[in-house]
Amino acid sequence: MRRSDRYRFWIVLAGLVLLHFSLRTRLGGDRIAPDFLLLALLMYTTRATPGRGAAAGFFVGLLRDALTPASFGTAALAHTIVGYLSSWAKAVFFAENLFVNGCIFFAGTWLRNLVVVLASGELKGAPLVWELLAWSPLQSLTTAAVGVLVLWTLGRWVAVRMSDA
Amino acid sequence: MTIGADRYGSRADTLVFLGCVALSIAAMSLPDSWRAPFSRAIRQTVLAPLLALQEETETLRSSRARLAAVTAERDSAMLAAAFLPELRSENARLRSLLGLGARLTTGYVPAEVLHEAGPTDPLTFLVSAGRRQGVRPLDTVVSPDGLVGVVSSADEQTSVVATWAHPDFRASAMAVDGSVYGIVAPHGSEGPGIWLLELEGVPYRNLVPDSTLIVTSGLGGVIPRGIPLGTVIGERAEVEHWERTYLLLPAVHPAAVTHVMILTGPPRNGATLKDLFQAEGKAP
Repeated sequence: MRRSDRYRFWIVLAGLVLLHFSLRTRLGGDRIAPDFLLLALLMYTTRATPGRGAAAGFFVGLLRDALTPASFGTAALAHTIVGYLSSWAKAVFFAENLFVNGCIFFAGTWLRNLVVVLASGELKGAPLVWELLAWSPLQSLTTAAVGVLVLWTLGRWVAVRMSDA
Repeated sequence: MTIGADRYGSRADTLVFLGCVALSIAAMSLPDSWRAPFSRAIRQTVLAPLLALQEETETLRSSRARLAAVTAERDSAMLAAAFLPELRSENARLRSLLGLGARLTTGYVPAEVLHEAGPTDPLTFLVSAGRRQGVRPLDTVVSPDGLVGVVSSADEQTSVVATWAHPDFRASAMAVDGSVYGIVAPHGSEGPGIWLLELEGVPYRNLVPDSTLIVTSGLGGVIPRGIPLGTVIGERAEVEHWERTYLLLPAVHPAAVTHVMILTGPPRNGATLKDLFQAEGKAP
């Protein structure tokens, strides 16, 4: 990776954060719209050590908890776990192609929702099943699709070898 | 920050992870009195610019939605304004119809004209009253301004009205002062005078001044006496034998009526139709 690509990488992450607070509300319902903030986190954690991934996840989760104080702490826990595991998973799979990245985005989003739902204890019975088997997979799918699109269009900026795609 | 460095987990990474998990659980255990100020502090510092961006985006979004709504309302208002003169005209016609109805007291059936979009619509049209309402063939159809036509056939709920523009229409007529008698017929089906009437059979020695009101005379017993037909606007150039023919400007244009009254009997308050229609002209 060239030195200039490092700055471009942060620009991409910042762009995703801005999109989360500007474009996301226009992309459909909250439950299925792509989560740009989580996507930015996953893009970072898959390029960082597990410890830094966990810390970044905790920070991002804490920010989300500030937006939903009713279940304060659950997002921090969920993002910490996702940040750590995604960083670890990327190291284990050691594959930097679009499909593996898409799978990590999908699984990360679904796992984050699973932990939030279980830790908050706000959903039980049928709503819990709907959330985990319908809404969460849909949001994971849209998030993974956006992530793959970003990697495909800005692959060089985020250090993905497009020849592996 | 070392992006792309060795990412295999070390003991330090595990400790950081466990520490973050512990902090998260601690955050979940915070009482509500601690959560609220902590969340507020984060929203007012780190998240403040992002929330401002989100607010601006929402404002922009709602502004565009409001603009679309305002544009739609403006278009609707313009469309409504376009129909306003027609509504006022219809309102005036209905008011005059009600006025005439009040003077007739009884002996009529109100009906709505069911216009069709066709070139022959002014010659015959349907009205929304039929035998069930007491309408019979040859009943006279009037509007507050004068004669519209006669019922040519009556169904159960509707009737067909042959207007004065129909080529077969004839009505015995007279000047409103009774000085001249004749037969009124449509002027023709071609040319510029298609929507005029003719007063035929006026003796050559009788002159009818322009603007004289011509009303039905009641001869023949089909159309009652005293219903305005039109006003004289001139004499027809061709003179046949020893009689004169005058052109009349009709009192009612069939295409303009939306509601009519079908006379099913004489007015029961003792007044003549002539008096009632003349009162119509004087009504405020």
